[in-house]
Amino acid sequence: MGERINMPKLFDKVLVANRGEIAVRVIRACRTLGIKTVTIYSTADRYAAHTLMGDEAYEIGPPPPLESYLCIEKIIDVAKRSGAQAIHPGYGFLSENPAFSQACRDNGIVFIGPSPEAIKLMGNKVESRVKMAGAGVPLIPGMKAAGNHIDEFAKVASEAGYPVLIKAAAGGGGKGMRVVQKPEELQTAVEGARREAKSAFGDDTVYLEKYIINPRHIEFQVLADQHGTAVHLFERECSIQRRHQKIVEETPSTAVTPELRKQMGEAAVAVVKAANYVNAGTVEFLLDPTGKFYFLEMNTRLQVEHPITELVVGVDLAAEQIRIASGFPMSEPFRNASQRGHAIECRIYAEDAGNNFMPSIGKILLYREPTGPGVRVDSGIMQGSEVGIDYDPILAKLIVWGENRDHARARMIRALQEYKILGIRHSIKYLAEIVAHPKFASGETYTDFIPRNFADWNDGAELHLEAALAAAALVNANGKGGAGGSGQNAEHISYNPWLTSGAWRIGEAQ
Amino acid sequence: MIYEFIHKGETKAVELKDNRSATFPGTDKPVQIEIMPGGRLFHRNGDATREIFAVVDGAKTYVDIDGLLFEFATPTQDVSGPGGAAGHMADPSKVFAPMPGKVVKLMVKEGDKVAPKQHLVIVEAMKMENIIVAHGAGTVKKVNFTEGQQCDTETPIIELEPAE
Repeated sequence: MGERINMPKLFDKVLVANRGEIAVRVIRACRTLGIKTVTIYSTADRYAAHTLMGDEAYEIGPPPPLESYLCIEKIIDVAKRSGAQAIHPGYGFLSENPAFSQACRDNGIVFIGPSPEAIKLMGNKVESRVKMAGAGVPLIPGMKAAGNHIDEFAKVASEAGYPVLIKAAAGGGGKGMRVVQKPEELQTAVEGARREAKSAFGDDTVYLEKYIINPRHIEFQVLADQHGTAVHLFERECSIQRRHQKIVEETPSTAVTPELRKQMGEAAVAVVKAANYVNAGTVEFLLDPTGKFYFLEMNTRLQVEHPITELVVGVDLAAEQIRIASGFPMSEPFRNASQRGHAIECRIYAEDAGNNFMPSIGKILLYREPTGPGVRVDSGIMQGSEVGIDYDPILAKLIVWGENRDHARARMIRALQEYKILGIRHSIKYLAEIVAHPKFASGETYTDFIPRNFADWNDGAELHLEAALAAAALVNANGKGGAGGSGQNAEHISYNPWLTSGAWRIGEAQ
Repeated sequence: MIYEFIHKGETKAVELKDNRSATFPGTDKPVQIEIMPGGRLFHRNGDATREIFAVVDGAKTYVDIDGLLFEFATPTQDVSGPGGAAGHMADPSKVFAPMPGKVVKLMVKEGDKVAPKQHLVIVEAMKMENIIVAHGAGTVKKVNFTEGQQCDTETPIIELEPAE
């Protein structure tokens, strides 16, 4: 430490450019570091948890995201007015929009995340493939550049072997994606993917790669500071998905051996270095049933499922993101990380799992979170919250830690049983049955787990219909005393000082 | 007292012997539920006692038993719902919607005699159908809306001439 450098200093004030559970998560990290927070909210979120928790909160527009949470100018304006030195984008919304990272830079505000150049590179699936091939990262066999003529597609397809996958270069979320089983279907699929990519992303560039059958989705958490240190923080397995969206994640993966972990981890760090990447990110791989792995893409943000890594490694990733963005070198627990025990996350969505995952809207009339050993809840809702149609239907994430996988599974089932949310449909019961399923218990978690094992699921509620009717009659008979027949509500309002006391800082006279 | 609820489109009736407990002796496993002072509900099953969670919100009742969710619609017997002013209840001859919505079905017309708890009208609000029932016996004096019309909570949907 002989060199004389300007000692970095933490930000005094950070703007949180998000809503819901991830905004609450980032605010908590800021509070832990003694940093003041600025929150933004749409008119639909005037009384949302994240709005109430900020030291300062600014209304930025009506509920549609394009007029509020996606409006770069408004957010930059709030940062300037409030004197926030940095912006944390959370996930979703503007978190992977290079124009936002660029706008922060242009206005002298630190973007807590990677550079616009790194975001842009990873946002283009073809460009990032080429770059990663150069860095020696294993790729799914397929095109090294975007395809033009149908003959190019046919040639690469026959080399790689059918089935093949057509993907949009600007892609994501399954849009502009086609599985092709045999050569006769190729032309139609390429044309269809082009049309879909054009309308979804305004860019009809598509390419072809081999379709990996029955894979697992394995991703590696990575972290890099501004001083050249880059590490991985082990894997997360996210194979349990419905509609291409993860719902249960765990670490470690039952499919990753120490040797494979070493290889995949090294590949993940190679991706970080090749992209000149700084801050937290996630390198996604597909792992085929024979144990071969392939680079899929890099997500240039903090992931929804980051808490399982935090529990198994014993770190605070969101806080470290802020320290790294302030210019500090990566701290010791990250530079010498190890895995301890097992962690599982379940995403609680406002949806009806028994009815094709139909989103559910309404008011949270009763809300009771599980507690006890090894249980963590990252939530953006409270009793009384309105769940509307404008935003992602994620309500909360339940994360547990256990000494080993079975212990963690048992804790997850126990905690899901304790979790009570009334007023909307949600997936708690469904998730408990997934984690309890024999195929989950034995680690047979492939991306087709849900269609294979839960295709015709229903909650079996008829079993308790009579008791439920009796309970409904009793509560109606006794609860009518209050206003509008909802006097029962008052009995269940929980008092949570951490959510309601507003912001305070240790060591600061108020 | 008999309570009626709508569950998945079907009307279900349940009789409470008193206001503190309910039993269903007719099934293989009799169900015993008690409400404690303060409104908390408990389900007794052999030696086990478990809490049931239930909340009334306007014309809907939500129940959680062992993680199973139920959503019941309540046929509106009481016009003092969240949308109705307190004064509405004082006048049983006027039938109001519990919240603004659309009249989807009228089950009575002017001149009809109605019995207590008879279904009068179905109002759709927040994508849910709510059945509004007669508070007491009487004759339909006036129907102020037609099917398909939007209704509010200020104008009575139906006016009754009470019996006697």
